[in-house]
Amino acid sequence: MPVPTASMGDIAFLLIIFFLVCSEVSKDAADIQVTLPSSERVEKNKAAAAARVAIDQAGQIYFDGAKVENAKDVEWGVRALLANTVVDDQRHVLFRCDAAVAKETFEPVLKAIAEGGGIIDAVGDKKEPGK
Amino acid sequence: MARRREKKHRTGTIPTDSFSDIAFLLIIYFLVATSLVKLQSISADLPSGEKAEQAQAEKTPIVNLRGGQVFFNDKPVELAELEERLAALELAAKEPEKRVVMLETAKGTSYDAYFQALAAISASGGVVALVEEEK
Repeated sequence: MPVPTASMGDIAFLLIIFFLVCSEVSKDAADIQVTLPSSERVEKNKAAAAARVAIDQAGQIYFDGAKVENAKDVEWGVRALLANTVVDDQRHVLFRCDAAVAKETFEPVLKAIAEGGGIIDAVGDKKEPGK
Repeated sequence: MARRREKKHRTGTIPTDSFSDIAFLLIIYFLVATSLVKLQSISADLPSGEKAEQAQAEKTPIVNLRGGQVFFNDKPVELAELEERLAALELAAKEPEKRVVMLETAKGTSYDAYFQALAAISASGGVVALVEEEK
């Protein structure tokens, strides 16, 4: 008995639309070189990030994938994005920083995110207990 | 007998037999090209502006990072000991304004050391407040 395949095209296109709607285009630039610190205390992100801030191993600061000059630009960017937020779940800012970056570079950025009203989600790798 | 030439009627239909093949190829492309990145992080809501100044004024536990060493209330500790001491404070059960832990870092402190201290404070339920350098 032949299997009816007339609707296979419809099913396939529905699946494509599902993947297109659910997938999110990454706002991080592909060439950001970051070696993340590791800790046993990291947990999976529960809230969606309103913004993404990254500092690469050279100390260059990125805001949503775009290079910025200094921490003040980050503060203004966060402030602008969070201007209309109502609940804390909408204030999360993803922060990725290379483990070797010095305090003079990353601390002003952290303060800028806090001044802009963001809750910092510092990204790190999961360290296995005992390692 | 004259042959009747029959007009070839061209139909305007688009052949759709291969639509499903094209659709499945697109699906396979998206499945292969997408990467499920699972980010793991530590959440920290740093007090800002006036709240940060208030936190510094009151007597609160302080974690120092200097010379590659961790200090808790000016006593040198290992990271595991820091986590135990912070856990003993039972910060999670306290009111938000009493959960502040000051974090002071010396010049040149790497983000790796900072991250470990941040993780220890956040895991114990503390709220991190950065110490401003005296200018």
